[in-house]
Amino acid sequence: MNTSGKTLPRRAGWWGGLMIATAAAILGAKLSGAINAPTAYLLAVIPLALGAQYFRALQHPQPDCGMTSPALRRYNRGIALTSLGYALGMGIAMVLWNGYRLSDPAIFAISLLPALPTFAMIAVMGRYLAQEEDEYLRYRSVMASLWGLGLVLALGTFWGFMEMFSLVPHVWSWWVMPVWAIGMGIGQAILGWQADR
Amino acid sequence: MKNRLKVLRAERDWSQQDLADRLGVSRQSVNAIETGRYDPSLPLAFRIADIFAMRIEEIFQRETEA
Repeated sequence: MNTSGKTLPRRAGWWGGLMIATAAAILGAKLSGAINAPTAYLLAVIPLALGAQYFRALQHPQPDCGMTSPALRRYNRGIALTSLGYALGMGIAMVLWNGYRLSDPAIFAISLLPALPTFAMIAVMGRYLAQEEDEYLRYRSVMASLWGLGLVLALGTFWGFMEMFSLVPHVWSWWVMPVWAIGMGIGQAILGWQADR
Repeated sequence: MKNRLKVLRAERDWSQQDLADRLGVSRQSVNAIETGRYDPSLPLAFRIADIFAMRIEEIFQRETEA
């Protein structure tokens, strides 16, 4: 639930943002055909290096943000690690899928590459809720999760009907995880705004 | 639920962070409780009462109470 700027030290947020932006740019360039696979692999060193810096920054949280706990720090590290695994798994799976004719078992295996880190992400979230001793922070996380769930249900239902009436194209169901994370971010932002009023 | 946390803190010259450290919670938690946006659980309310050496009802009151 690294979904709120307040739960992350600003320096870590900066490095994390740079990591995601460069990874997205490289992925976009590869998917659009602007660069080939070996070049994309070489360039992937940049977001990986930024990811390492992100982890280092996470070890030094700002003490004055007023919203930190050992469980939250473990959670942030876990989410950062699983996010990195997700990006890597997704990238490798896409390259293999686009570059080779794969058997069904191989397709099963490459589908697990980005899926396993998301399972781990869910486990990290569950562990956080179980280990967080600060009841207010736990309450905020639960509320933010409900915001995420609400967004997934609302958007999924609305999109499903639009798809049924042939207004929009079919969308693969793995979108639920990022949309849930976005919903959590919105929830944390709203809760943070309410707290600052 | 209303509470007297801010007054009790001020009497002791404690910051929100001082009280948070004594309670073992985040400053955000103290702020949320103090401003009435979050009602603490019974165990946390007892810990708050213990720190101020008061009874819970001397710190927390119903909205309808004067």
